[in-house]
Amino acid sequence: MSIAARGLWLLGSIGVTALLVLSWQLIANYGGIPPVFLPGPDRAWSALVAGFSGGELAGLTGATVERMIYGWVLASLAGIALGAVIGSSQVAREYVAPMLEIVRPVPVSAFMPVVMAFLGLTGTMVLVVIAIGSIWPVLLATVHGVSSVEPRLVEVSQSLRLSRFKTLWKIALPNAQADILAGMRIGLTVALILAVIGEMLTSENGLGWSILQAARAYRSADLFAGVIVLGVIGLVSNLALQSIERYVLRWKRR
Amino acid sequence: MQCAANTKNQGCETGYCMINVAPLPRADAAVPLIAFHGVSHMFGNRPVLQDINLTINKSEFVCMVGPSGCGKTTMLRMVGGLQTPATGEVTFAGKRVAGPAREISFMFQDYSKALLPWRTAAGNVSLALEANGVPTGQRAARIKDLLGKVGLANHADHFPVQLSGGMQQRVQIARCLAQEPSVLLMDEPFGALDAMTRQALQDEILRIIQASRTTVVFVTHDLEEAIYLGDRVVALYPNPGRIAQVFDVDLPKPRNQLTTRESPSFLRLRRALFDFIREGEA
Amino acid sequence: MKVAKALVLPVALLILWEVAMRMSGIQSDSLAPPSQIAVAFYNAMLDGTIPWRTAETLRAALTGLAIGAGCGLIVSILLGLIPPVARLMQFSIEVLRPVPAVALIPVAILTLGFGYAMEVSLVAFATFWPVLIYGHAAITNIEPQLLDVSRVLRLSGLGRVTKIVLPATLPRYFVAFRLATAVSLIVAVTVEIAANPLGIGYELMTASQSLHPDLMFALVLWIGLVGWGLNGALLFAQRRLFGPAGMAEIAR
Repeated sequence: MSIAARGLWLLGSIGVTALLVLSWQLIANYGGIPPVFLPGPDRAWSALVAGFSGGELAGLTGATVERMIYGWVLASLAGIALGAVIGSSQVAREYVAPMLEIVRPVPVSAFMPVVMAFLGLTGTMVLVVIAIGSIWPVLLATVHGVSSVEPRLVEVSQSLRLSRFKTLWKIALPNAQADILAGMRIGLTVALILAVIGEMLTSENGLGWSILQAARAYRSADLFAGVIVLGVIGLVSNLALQSIERYVLRWKRR
Repeated sequence: MQCAANTKNQGCETGYCMINVAPLPRADAAVPLIAFHGVSHMFGNRPVLQDINLTINKSEFVCMVGPSGCGKTTMLRMVGGLQTPATGEVTFAGKRVAGPAREISFMFQDYSKALLPWRTAAGNVSLALEANGVPTGQRAARIKDLLGKVGLANHADHFPVQLSGGMQQRVQIARCLAQEPSVLLMDEPFGALDAMTRQALQDEILRIIQASRTTVVFVTHDLEEAIYLGDRVVALYPNPGRIAQVFDVDLPKPRNQLTTRESPSFLRLRRALFDFIREGEA
Repeated sequence: MKVAKALVLPVALLILWEVAMRMSGIQSDSLAPPSQIAVAFYNAMLDGTIPWRTAETLRAALTGLAIGAGCGLIVSILLGLIPPVARLMQFSIEVLRPVPAVALIPVAILTLGFGYAMEVSLVAFATFWPVLIYGHAAITNIEPQLLDVSRVLRLSGLGRVTKIVLPATLPRYFVAFRLATAVSLIVAVTVEIAANPLGIGYELMTASQSLHPDLMFALVLWIGLVGWGLNGALLFAQRRLFGPAGMAEIAR
């Protein structure tokens, strides 16, 4: 497909989205649903504008994003380091990896009450839960990537007499970069989810807490504004990581 | 000491070979650079090498030919320290080979798997310098020089996927040279390349080797390639791998793709080797 | 041997945990020794707490899964068979998909109140996407020749779907369904922990807040077992239904 045709299709599909928004407006206006339950896009938009220009939406967004990023960075660093250790040692793989597989299917949100019992309803608790939750995808991906080096490259490193550490640093970890990035992308999604839930439970300052408050007070316009911001955070963080992935993995493209 | 072969050999028919059943090493000769002493090996229950005795001298270019299953690659991997013989031993400079050594460089056939796909051509050459502990500041100049030597000066920033097969194999040559090895082991390095590229790389490797006086052990299944490149050609029989005969190649150097391949001695040698291999297969 | 090695670490940790708690004699509100956890698990099983709460959670999760995966199946077939529609919907899908399902918890509370309906709708929203995305990918990957065959045979639209498209894409749909099942349990438990007074997640939250660490750990363990069991059962079914060829699809 030519670039022009692709552009036209994109415009068309944006048009469809606009039509969907328009029908949302029509349903809100004439659909008979009380405005306390469903605000039109106009009211959601003005709540969004008001929240960012004078209100507290910017601060709430900052708090949630900060929490998400902190926990995720922590989890990613720990996940890569642990994964590298486990993945590069046959012994560690045999003894530790099965236990990781046992813990993996536990829904991460189930750890939240456990951590809560230790740390109470605090911001630290939320951060710890985010870190615990988003470490899994990174950890397991790193173990896989580090331990699946092309056998020929193992021989190259042997024949160059690379030390164990150099082999890990120059061959096994770069070999895992595609897996690690994919794991980190999943980890970031998990981090956002856990940040929102954590804020809902602990009443820590953030979007999760604020949208729950808005729902309880029947401020539907504020609620939808918050949900839209959360959607945008998810979209932007995903797009950002995708473009980082495209750049880092450019050696795969012909 | 020029060659040794196992006791099963018959006499020399062509005049181009020198087979002796002489014991080795000869006391009066210098210690050979590489030597196989009664090497046998099995893969599971299948014998792949049987009583191999062979010596290779410094600055020699030795080619090993034979049908698949004759154990030529296994022999090369033993010199490279990637495989340990079940019985007998392989020595390098008089010492038993126990593992890969810095002075010995191994070049693999499957270039697409043997290069780091996430590093550029320059980065792949750099790997060998990093392994040898060359300081960061000196690497760039060395890399430029090495890539220039293999004709890739303008492709330093390309990733392996962006290079043709021949270019990828040139990167591997540059990486091997970066190790500054005294021995270069090449495992069918040009087997997967087209004829034109193969000839160009043959001449390049000869030119580079000539200058550095590196010892080369070269495995191939292409008889002409073996004669064209080698000072000696070791022919192996398969199942289990045995040394059948060792041919001395007395063609003048530098060699030339046209005149060398058309010279009567080349043709005679080719004929002899060809008959010999076919005999072994029959 | 492999199993033995796998068991060394967990068993050692359990023993260490038990011994450490007994030696130190700590009376903790947040930690209980494995022996007490086992007792709490046994009791909660016997008095019906676990079975009853699990039934509630599974009811919400599986109803939501049926709705979400069903819609995902239908929409993915539509998009897969009519490429212009897929291209026109692309932007809307890309914009809607990243909305975290948990962000919709307050919306669901506001419009539906607490109870099954809100939990089911959130599970449905979350499970819709994986089935849609994987299913669409499966259909666009069908051998073009198979679709040509359907044209040569002059199959009707419905015939094309039931005779060519579904059989050709079934293994991949099954993988998507397995993923969606895992998602359904995660979302259901999460919604229960965050807000909904229902099911195993709520029970877990109560145990944590009423300082019953033994029951709390027993429930976490149980939730893990349920997730593990569901996934294992579906993996088994997949292997039986599609054989090695179907399993290869997972690797991609």
